[in-house]
Amino acid sequence: MIELTTTRHNPLIDPSLHVWEWQIPVYLFLGGLVAGLMIIAGIRLIVLRPSRREALVCCTIGPLLGLAALSLGMFALFLDLAHKLHVWRLYTTFEPTSPMSWGSWILLLVYPALLANALAHLPEAIPALARRFPVLVAISDFILARLRLVLAIGFANVALGVALGIYTGILLGALGARPLWNSALLGPLFLFSGLSAAAALLHGILVLSAPDEERPAFADFLLSSLARVSGARPLDPNAGPVLAGADNSFLTIELALLGLFLLGHLTSTAVHRQAAGLLLTGPYAAPFWVFVVGLGILIPLLLQTLELTHRIRHTLAPAVLVLFGGIALRVILVAAGQESHWFHALN
Amino acid sequence: MESPDRSPQPYWNSYWAGFGLGLVLLASFVIMGRGLGASGAFTTAVAAAAHAIAPAHAGHNAFYAEYLGDGSRSPLKDWLVFEVLGVFAGGFLSGVLANRLKFTVEKGPRISTAPRLALAFTGGALMGIGAKIALGCTSGQALTGGALLNVGSWAFMLCVFAGAYAVAYFVRKQWT
Amino acid sequence: MNAPFFKYGLFGDETSLILAFVIGIAFGFFLERAGFGSGRKLAAQFYFTDLSVLKVMFTAIITAMTGVYLLARIGFLDLSLVYLVPTFVVPQIVGGLLLGVGFVIGGYCPGTSCVSAATGRIDGMVYLAGMLAGLFGFAEVYPSLETFLHSTSLGQITLPALFHVSYGLLVFAVVLMALAAFAAAEWAEKKTAGKLPDPNGSLTALPWRLTPVRRLAFGLAALGLAAALAGSPYRGARVTVDTRDLALRASHDATSLAPATLADWIIQGRNDFALVDVRSETDFASYHIPTAQNLPLASLNADFAPRNQTIILCSDDGTQAAQAWFLLQAQGFRSVYLLSGGLRAWRDQVLFPKPSAEAPAAAFEKQAQVAKYFGGAPQTTGASAAPAPALPKLAPPVLAAGPAGATQPPPKKKKEGC
Repeated sequence: MIELTTTRHNPLIDPSLHVWEWQIPVYLFLGGLVAGLMIIAGIRLIVLRPSRREALVCCTIGPLLGLAALSLGMFALFLDLAHKLHVWRLYTTFEPTSPMSWGSWILLLVYPALLANALAHLPEAIPALARRFPVLVAISDFILARLRLVLAIGFANVALGVALGIYTGILLGALGARPLWNSALLGPLFLFSGLSAAAALLHGILVLSAPDEERPAFADFLLSSLARVSGARPLDPNAGPVLAGADNSFLTIELALLGLFLLGHLTSTAVHRQAAGLLLTGPYAAPFWVFVVGLGILIPLLLQTLELTHRIRHTLAPAVLVLFGGIALRVILVAAGQESHWFHALN
Repeated sequence: MESPDRSPQPYWNSYWAGFGLGLVLLASFVIMGRGLGASGAFTTAVAAAAHAIAPAHAGHNAFYAEYLGDGSRSPLKDWLVFEVLGVFAGGFLSGVLANRLKFTVEKGPRISTAPRLALAFTGGALMGIGAKIALGCTSGQALTGGALLNVGSWAFMLCVFAGAYAVAYFVRKQWT
Repeated sequence: MNAPFFKYGLFGDETSLILAFVIGIAFGFFLERAGFGSGRKLAAQFYFTDLSVLKVMFTAIITAMTGVYLLARIGFLDLSLVYLVPTFVVPQIVGGLLLGVGFVIGGYCPGTSCVSAATGRIDGMVYLAGMLAGLFGFAEVYPSLETFLHSTSLGQITLPALFHVSYGLLVFAVVLMALAAFAAAEWAEKKTAGKLPDPNGSLTALPWRLTPVRRLAFGLAALGLAAALAGSPYRGARVTVDTRDLALRASHDATSLAPATLADWIIQGRNDFALVDVRSETDFASYHIPTAQNLPLASLNADFAPRNQTIILCSDDGTQAAQAWFLLQAQGFRSVYLLSGGLRAWRDQVLFPKPSAEAPAAAFEKQAQVAKYFGGAPQTTGASAAPAPALPKLAPPVLAAGPAGATQPPPKKKKEGC
């Protein structure tokens, strides 16, 4: 019997309410994925000689996908904003203590960095496009002729990728009212989850592009027509094991970070123990263990290990599972975080 | 990506595969106090989909209501739904380890793809209906109930074989 | 440790879903290993060219059956707690026939179609789509079929109970029958497919050597024979009770619950306990506490709730409830409480509370609200000499201001079967 609505009953104040729906987890996932694609592209650009840059996958397709994913993610974020017309105001100020402010400026710098990385090898990767727009060849030649510029683009991608990946985690960690998110490990966790998603995505693209007699004819036809229309060069399959191996390292680190994240909560206050309990035994335990840990990390880890030891052939399955697990991690952490509570510990 | 021998491995001996299956079933009895199942998961999925699309309609249907629970948690958080997810994962793992992954249509040499797929769809629909009339499918009734000496399950199991043998002659072109 | 683990409260619902996934992986793995991801191999059963379906299915059945029997017989597994799908004779015959027809036309059953779809079989995926369509269609016509679907009910019943034979004897009979069926199947395969059986994978092939497969068959037959000689697998008759422990518990105050606390729980809409009324059905029909379920003492069997469920027992003055308390304790329930003072106390303290001199007025105000919530009426000081007021009608009026959920019926359990 509530006769008086005090602040504790106000639905906009009570922190047990779920204010964030699907947009925020989708944005966090895509942000992490873009961060991963940037870091992989940047590192490949820095460490490999031009001729060995597996031209298409890491250094061109990755950044191009990154641009698309970032735009999608920003759109999801925009959908979540209450005052959509005021979005420009984010760029009229810089608040050094606010992760939101950091984020909006990082996002602004990510676009040119990704674009520069993609342009460096675009004419080799998609010759048909270069024939139509000769300016692309000029840009590419301009970049590749200057080693320092190439290195600068590479380092900018890595640095911005790391910043973006960590920022997606800090964004949640900065919200003190939700005990589940009170951990500095969320930053690295989301960074490595993004890296594993990016490596898996690129690996998946390679698997799709490789000739495969087990695939039905219509799928092969679709894929080859896609290649013909885009005029893209065939992908270098040698990047496959590299990406699968990298993905395995990222997944292992992600798993370790996830363990440390939960351990940190379990050794903290009762409120944080309770918050971790939401994932470990509480209402989010089954989806967390099955979708995030089982299907999202352990099974792809097993499959990729078997692929790398040549026990099984490379399939699309790890890529699909890792991407799915990445989304599940954000969805569950955002949902469970909104349910975690400073007040529950009182009763 | 070098490719060593990738020809499909032979299946396991039926008795040993059955023994393994029996141990899994026994583990399910011991751990959960219930057997295995499959069709129930798909019923839950259909009920959840109906509930998402037309909540009022699904709420009034006594059949859906049974699978939707009391609304305190998602109906998809169901034992059989998670079990069937595992079946997909386990089947894939076994298939990929034995090089048996292949996009193909299982059929005899005397039938083309389209009619085979039409028959697969029809068979699936009949199975769905039959499983709901009988309160279970080959996993939930025949296997589980068979091991528990359930009266209904044994009647069901004998009828499955009877029904299949009775019709086998008429669809022989599909398989032989 | 007692099995089934879940029903003895070793872990909760969430953990059970994680285990479901793990058990499912093993299930899918063995189905695929057996070759059941291939519609051709499955359908070959019905043309006598490859009888794997029969062999795999019956090996699995006799393995699990002897295993269940032995674990139950040694007292590890409580067989009465393993869920048994209720029997409806005619619907299960009709459903079975339909399923058989669907099996040979579609090439799969629901479980094997998952495995076939997971290994890339397009017909398996189409089959799954067909099944979803069939289920959807069935749901739409369900209301008109309901009477048929619930006809010829025999309840949860096993073959030994139906035919009044010993459980163990029937286990042995089924094992022998299965082994005979395997021999017949191998003979039929040789006849129709003309294939020479692999001597290592066959039970009947010559030369006669003690191959691993034959060891398995002998092992199962020996277990079946042991079962035939070993008596009933059900636990009910052989409960061991630590009387000292039980007496200690009984003398402990913490086994009872005050009526006011129960009233609060019901108003809060808590559903983490089961309120069980052990009086007769007629008494229950005339009045019962909201959310209570009626289980007269005589029909109080062990499988109405999981062993870790909090149970609150009530009867008129508490005597019958106390008897039920002992019964449930002996059957392994651990958190069983008595409504202290029984329904009599419920009436005096919750439905018709009287103000007392020492309690503050505010406390009585709250009691009065609770009483109104349950359809009772607080007694003013002057009326204390009046005769006991009549119990309220069933289904107490819902107060508009009552918290949501408080008057909802207890949550409906989801279906357990397939």
